[in-house]
Amino acid sequence: MRRTERPMRMLPRPLLVGFALLFLLQAVNHQLGRERSEAIYHPLTRPFSAEVYRGMAMGSFRLFGYLLSLRLQLHDNQAGQHFRYSLMNYDLLLDWLETLSDIDTDSEYPMLLASRIYTQTSNPERLRKILGFIERRFDDNPQLHWRRLAEASLIAKHKLHDLDLALRFADKLAKQPASVKMPHWARDFQFLLLAELNETESAIAIIQALLQSGSIKDPDEQRFLRGKLSDFQQKLFESQRLPGK
Amino acid sequence: MLGILSRRFIVLLLILLLAAALFGSYIGELTLVNGHAIVAGFIADFLRYCLALLTLLIIASSVAEDYEFRQFERLLTMPLARWQYIAAQTLLIACLCAMMAVPAALLVALYSDAATGLYWAAALWMELFLLGLLSLLAILSLEKIPQAVFFALAVYLFAKLSGLITLIVAESVKMSEGSVASRTIEFTFNAILFVIPGLDTFADNNVFFVDIGVLHSLGVQLLSVIVYATFLLTVCLVDFYRKEFNL
Repeated sequence: MRRTERPMRMLPRPLLVGFALLFLLQAVNHQLGRERSEAIYHPLTRPFSAEVYRGMAMGSFRLFGYLLSLRLQLHDNQAGQHFRYSLMNYDLLLDWLETLSDIDTDSEYPMLLASRIYTQTSNPERLRKILGFIERRFDDNPQLHWRRLAEASLIAKHKLHDLDLALRFADKLAKQPASVKMPHWARDFQFLLLAELNETESAIAIIQALLQSGSIKDPDEQRFLRGKLSDFQQKLFESQRLPGK
Repeated sequence: MLGILSRRFIVLLLILLLAAALFGSYIGELTLVNGHAIVAGFIADFLRYCLALLTLLIIASSVAEDYEFRQFERLLTMPLARWQYIAAQTLLIACLCAMMAVPAALLVALYSDAATGLYWAAALWMELFLLGLLSLLAILSLEKIPQAVFFALAVYLFAKLSGLITLIVAESVKMSEGSVASRTIEFTFNAILFVIPGLDTFADNNVFFVDIGVLHSLGVQLLSVIVYATFLLTVCLVDFYRKEFNL
């Protein structure tokens, strides 16, 4: 037997009015809640241990690690607003990066976030923490992370103005055994650091060498580096054109 | 159960495939590196869980209809043995799983490569088939859709989250300094694990990120699925033969 529906106009009027009012109330409440949460920055929470996340991943721990990395990457964007990195607790951020690295030791995403995103801070103490993380985690898999250490070395020289730290990173790269496959320029990174190049010139030299070495296979990273290269070339061109610079 | 070959089923499958592709592209936009693998892995897992739920619901509702329309009583008046009903249902579950796993694997292959797509087709089919049998057992025993779906889903999630539960139980034993209650829970949980499939019974999503040794992984999964599927079928038969149907 098929059940049919009665037309809406046959329903009791107080029920319909009540429904419309409550629907409106729910929409207003939702909007007010959204406005309240938009203005507030929600800080990072402390992560669980890597074993817990591996268990929660239901077998897909590598994918889960990447998705958690994306969540961390998007943390500065909340409710359509971009928050400054200075609001972020870098100790918690490091906890997250360590945990993500432990979830999947073959993933380069946490190191990439550290070297490309979180080094954008202008606070030297925070920058030092991030560089420390890169140095520490480089030992886990030098083959996977040598580019991050090279980037960290460059950042240490030009952003932190700590040539000793930059040279220590470069020395670490130079001392890698032959089994770690990386281009010759990476092993000779000290010379590039000691050359009188400014930040933009050094970045251009490194990116060109990286792209020409063929060590970057990932099309996303190739696209990212090509974009960065053209940005830096434009910046260099403009700085050379402007008098007094 | 052949009624599942309806237009509604095909439309639902297409919607799921489209949703997976859309969510996958959104994830792909966010990635800085390794985007192809992340998107392929995400689509594969998204479809896996959607199709698992769909398999469960289709099988539970189709067998529930047999109960509702007194099909079993009618079948018993025919020259058919009870095991033949179970065999027919198993064959139909296998076909249904193939109908779902093949399009999903084709979409996955588009985002990765043919070999990975083939692996995913075979591995996902085995996972769905096992879940289908679990659902058959649940509905034959419990006879009601909500209970059967809840039971099959609970077993599936229990198997998938066994690593996390083991960790929690071990931690609770440590924190309670080995109290009787926590030891009992640990013992009970370890006992339940004996009748729950292990993680190697399911498709391995890590195939999208590293070389897992596809043939070896498939071999291990096949063996586990054969053992567990045979176990489930035996329980189904025992339960079905014990049932009284009033003619």
